[in-house]
Amino acid sequence: MFNPESIIRKGRPKGYLRETLVRSFLRGITYLIVIIALMIFGKILIDGAPAIFTSKFPFVDIEFLTAKNETLHVFDDAQGTRHQLPASKYSDYVNAHAGATLYNEQTFSYSGGGIAGPIVGTALLTIGSMILALFFGVSAAIYLAEYAKQSPFIHAVRLAILNLAGIPSIVFGLFGFSVFVLAVPIITNTPSDRSMLTIPLMVGNYVLSFQGWNSSLIAGCATLACMILPVIITASEESLRAVPQGFRDASLAMGGTRWQTIRKCVLPYSLPGILTSSLLAIARVAGETAPIMFTAAVAAKDDLPWQGLSNPFGVLSSQVQALPYHIYTLAARIPNSEYTERAQYGSVFVFLVLVASLSFGSMILRAKLRKKLKW
Amino acid sequence: MANKESASSKTAHRFQRRGFSYERLIKYFFASNAGLTIVILVLIIVFLLKEGLGFFPGYRRELETYRIAGLEFVDISRKNLTSHEQLTSLLNRAYFAEINGKAMREMRRFQEASALFNAYSDQTGPTRDLILNNPQSDAGGNSGMLAVLRENYEKQKQKALGLLPATPHLTTDERNQLVSSLRARAPETTEDPPLVVSLTENYTAAQAKFSEPLKDFRATIDSFGAAGSDLGTVITEMTESVTATKEKLQSADIIAKDRETLLAAANNAKNPAERERLLVDANAAIAEKPDVEGPMQLLMNRREDCIRLHQQLEKSVGEILPAIPQSLSQPEANRILRAAHKSWPVFIADLKAAPEKIKIWNHTDPVPLSDAITSFFTGKDWVTGGEWQDFYGILPLAIGSLMIAVVALVIAIPVGIGSAIYVNQFAGNREQNIVKPVIEFIQAIPSVVLGFLGILVFGTILREISVMDSFQWVPGFPIEERLNIFTAGCLLALMSIPTIFSLAEDALNNVPSAYAEASEALGASRVQTTFRVMIPAAFSGILAAVLLGLGRVIGETMVVLLVAGNRIKIPDFTAGIGSFFQPAHTLTGIIAQELGEVPLGSVHYRALFIVGIVLFVVVLGINASAHHFVNRVRK
Repeated sequence: MFNPESIIRKGRPKGYLRETLVRSFLRGITYLIVIIALMIFGKILIDGAPAIFTSKFPFVDIEFLTAKNETLHVFDDAQGTRHQLPASKYSDYVNAHAGATLYNEQTFSYSGGGIAGPIVGTALLTIGSMILALFFGVSAAIYLAEYAKQSPFIHAVRLAILNLAGIPSIVFGLFGFSVFVLAVPIITNTPSDRSMLTIPLMVGNYVLSFQGWNSSLIAGCATLACMILPVIITASEESLRAVPQGFRDASLAMGGTRWQTIRKCVLPYSLPGILTSSLLAIARVAGETAPIMFTAAVAAKDDLPWQGLSNPFGVLSSQVQALPYHIYTLAARIPNSEYTERAQYGSVFVFLVLVASLSFGSMILRAKLRKKLKW
Repeated sequence: MANKESASSKTAHRFQRRGFSYERLIKYFFASNAGLTIVILVLIIVFLLKEGLGFFPGYRRELETYRIAGLEFVDISRKNLTSHEQLTSLLNRAYFAEINGKAMREMRRFQEASALFNAYSDQTGPTRDLILNNPQSDAGGNSGMLAVLRENYEKQKQKALGLLPATPHLTTDERNQLVSSLRARAPETTEDPPLVVSLTENYTAAQAKFSEPLKDFRATIDSFGAAGSDLGTVITEMTESVTATKEKLQSADIIAKDRETLLAAANNAKNPAERERLLVDANAAIAEKPDVEGPMQLLMNRREDCIRLHQQLEKSVGEILPAIPQSLSQPEANRILRAAHKSWPVFIADLKAAPEKIKIWNHTDPVPLSDAITSFFTGKDWVTGGEWQDFYGILPLAIGSLMIAVVALVIAIPVGIGSAIYVNQFAGNREQNIVKPVIEFIQAIPSVVLGFLGILVFGTILREISVMDSFQWVPGFPIEERLNIFTAGCLLALMSIPTIFSLAEDALNNVPSAYAEASEALGASRVQTTFRVMIPAAFSGILAAVLLGLGRVIGETMVVLLVAGNRIKIPDFTAGIGSFFQPAHTLTGIIAQELGEVPLGSVHYRALFIVGIVLFVVVLGINASAHHFVNRVRK
C-alpha cells in the first residue's frame, strides 16, 4: 500500500509500533467475536444436519419435520440388537412380539418422533401475534407520523413506547399470565369460580365473565403482540416518515382528504419498509420463550392444535407446543444421552435455520429497498 | 364550546355533519391505537401490583405464625447449630484438602484409571448384563443367540476402547497395560483390573501416610464436631412440638378462610334453601382456637436448657480453638482454613449473644408489616415448599443476577466497544460489510438456543479446561459445577455484545466529522484521534450503550434459567474470585421456574410477582438513565 509519508520521510514514524499494536488488538477483538459467532452456527449446523438430512432421496428427513412428538423407547431385544422406537411404534412392536423379553429398556420423554407439533405451534403463535401487532402497531404509527402534533398525549405515548421496549420478556410473561390468562372477559354461560367480575347479559343465562382465556394460543399471541408492539410502531413510523413530504402535499393539493392521502399516497410506498422490518420482529417473536411459558406453551401434546375440535375457533383456545419451549424442555428437563441428541440438535437446527433465514431475509430486503427507493 | 365548533367548521368539509365526520372518526381510531401503548403499560403496572401487593400482608401472617408457634425460638438455636456444622465441615474440608494435596499424584492417577475403567464399563455394561442374565446362558447351550451377544459385546468393547478418556498422569506403559487388560476382559469378570486395584491401594496408603502427622488436627475436629451434639438433640425434640403447633394454626387459618368463602357464597345465593344450607355449613366451620399456650409453656421450659447448652458450647469451642493450627502446607487447604479462621469471631459472638436473645424472646410480640417488607428485601434465604418454614428473601436472587451481570459486562464492554471502535474508525468498507452483519446476526440467535449450547457444549468445555494442570492457577478451578455464574455470564456477554456494539458504533458515527478532521489536520495520528477526540466526544452515547446492554443482561431469562445452575444460595464469598464459578439463581430465572408450579393466589405466587415488580423497576431505571445520556448527546 502506498504510504504518502514515505516521500518526505524514510523509515517508520514515531509511535508506529504502538499504533499497530492498538490497531491489531482491536482487530483481534472484532474477529474474535466474528469467529465465535461462526463457530456457534457451525456447531449447530454440523451437529444438527445429520438429524435432518439423509443420504437418500429426498435428502431431508421428512418424518422428523412432520411426525408428532413422542416418547422415545430404547431397548435391546433378545438378540442384543438395539431398537430406538417412538411410543406408537413401540406398542406395535410389543404387540407383534408378544411374550418376548426386552432388555435394558430406557425411555426418553419428548425425544422420539418428529417436531411437527412445535413447528405448527410456533407458526400459529407467530402469525397470530404478528396480525395483532401489525394491525395495532401500524395504526398507531400512522397516527404518530401523520396526525400527531406536539401534545401531552403524544409525549405520553412516546414515553410508553420507550418503556415498553425495555421491559424484560419475563415480566411480559407475568403480565400475560395475570391479564390474558386470568382476567380478560369472555362470554360464557358457566362462569368459573375465580372470575373477578360477572356482568349478566340479557341473552339466556350468558354472562360476561372476567375469568381470562386460560393458557391458550390466543393468550400467547396477545402477550407476544404486546411485547413486539413498540418495535413495530418504531419501525413503521420510520418507514412512514421516509415517504417524502411532496407526495402528501401533492395529494392534498389535488383535494384529497387526509385519509385518502394516507391510503393512496403514503401507505403503498411505506409498506415494503414496514414489512421488511416486521420480518425482524417475526424472528424475535418466534424466538421468545419466557412470555409463552405460562400463557400458551405446553411441553407435550398428542394432537396438532386443530385436531379433535368441534368448531374452528377452538384452535384459539387450545394450548400449543412451541419450538423454543420444546428446546427448553429438551435441554433442561430430560437427561442427556446419545439417544436424545437427534431430537435436541435437530430441533435447534430447524429453529435456528428458521430464525436466521428470517433475519437474513430482512437484511437482504432492507439493502435492496435502500437501493430501490431513492426519492 | 361554541367557539371551538366554529373554529373547526372552518376547516371541515361542507358535507360534514355536526362535528362528527368520517375523517375525524378515522383520526380518532388511529389515536386510540396509539393510546393502546399507554393502556398496555398501565395494565402491566396495575396487574403486577394487584397480584403482588397481597404478598406483604400474607407474608406477615406467615411470619406471625412462625413466631406464635415457636419456630422462631427454635431457629435462634438452630442458626448457631448450623454455623457450627458449617465450621465443622470447613475444618473437615481443610483436613482432606491437606491430605489430598499431598497425595495429589496418587489421587490423580487413581481417578484417571478409574475414569477410564468406568468409561469402558458404561459402554459395555448393557450388553454384559444381557449376556449374564440371558436365560440361555444358564442352559449352557452354546446357542446362536449367545454367540450373537458375545459378538455384540466385542463390538461394544472395540467402540469403548476407541473412546477412552485422556490419562495425563499415567505413564504410557501403565495405560497400555490397563487397555490391554480391558481388551482381554471377558464379560463374566467381576473384579477390577489389576492396575486400578493397585492404584486404589496406593492412594489409600498415601492417604494413611499423610494423615499420620495430622492426627492431632483430626482429633480436634472430631471433638469440635461432638461439642454440638447436645444442642442438636434438644433442637430436634423442640422441632417436633413446634411443627405440630404450626400445623394446627395453619389448619385453623384454612377453616377460617373457608368460612368466609361460605358466608360470601351464602350472601350471593339466590334461593333461600341454598342460602340456608351454606349458612349451616359456614357455622359448622367455626374453627376451635388452637391451643398455643400449652405447647408454648413446654417450649419455654426448655429455655434454661438452651441457654445452658449455648454457654457450654461456647466454653468448649473456646477450649478447642487454640488447638486448631494457624496454617497448613497445601494452598487449597490453607485457603479453606483461613476462611474458617475468619468466621470464628462471628460464630463466637453469635454464641455469646444467643442466651440474651433466648431470654427476651416472646411469642406474643407483634409482627408489624414493616418486618415482612424488610425481611423480603434483606432476607438471605429463599426457601419455598419446605416443611419447616417458607422464607422469601430476595438477596440470593439479586446477588446472583448482579454477579452474572458483572461477568457479562466485564467481558462485553471491552469487546463490544473495542470492536465498535475498530469497525467505525479503522476498518475498510469491505471489512465493515462483513463484520457488521455477522455481529448483528448474533442478536438473531434466540436466547434458548444459546442456553442449549451453554448446557451441552460450553459448560462441558469449561469443566474440561478447569481440570487441566496448566490452568490450576485460576482461582476457583477446578470448578465443581458445570453450570455456574461464569458460564451464564459468558453467554450473556455474547448476547449483549451486539447491543453494545451497534449503539456504541452509532454514537461514534454521530460525532461530527469536523472533530476528526480538525484533529488530523493538527497532525494527530489515527489512534490519537480516536482515543483523544472521538471517544471523549461519543462518551455519553457509549455509556448509554453499556447501560442498555446491562438492561438486557438483567432482564434475560432463558440463558440464566438454563445455564446459571439454579442453586438458591448466596455464593460462598470465602472463595474470592472463585465464587464466580459457583452456581446461582436469578430474579428472572426464579419467576420462570416457579410460576408454573405455585397455586394461584398463594403467598409464594405473590412473592414471584413482587420479584417481577423489582425487576421491572430496576430495568426501567437502567433504561431511563440510558435514555437520559442519549438525550444529552442529542442536545
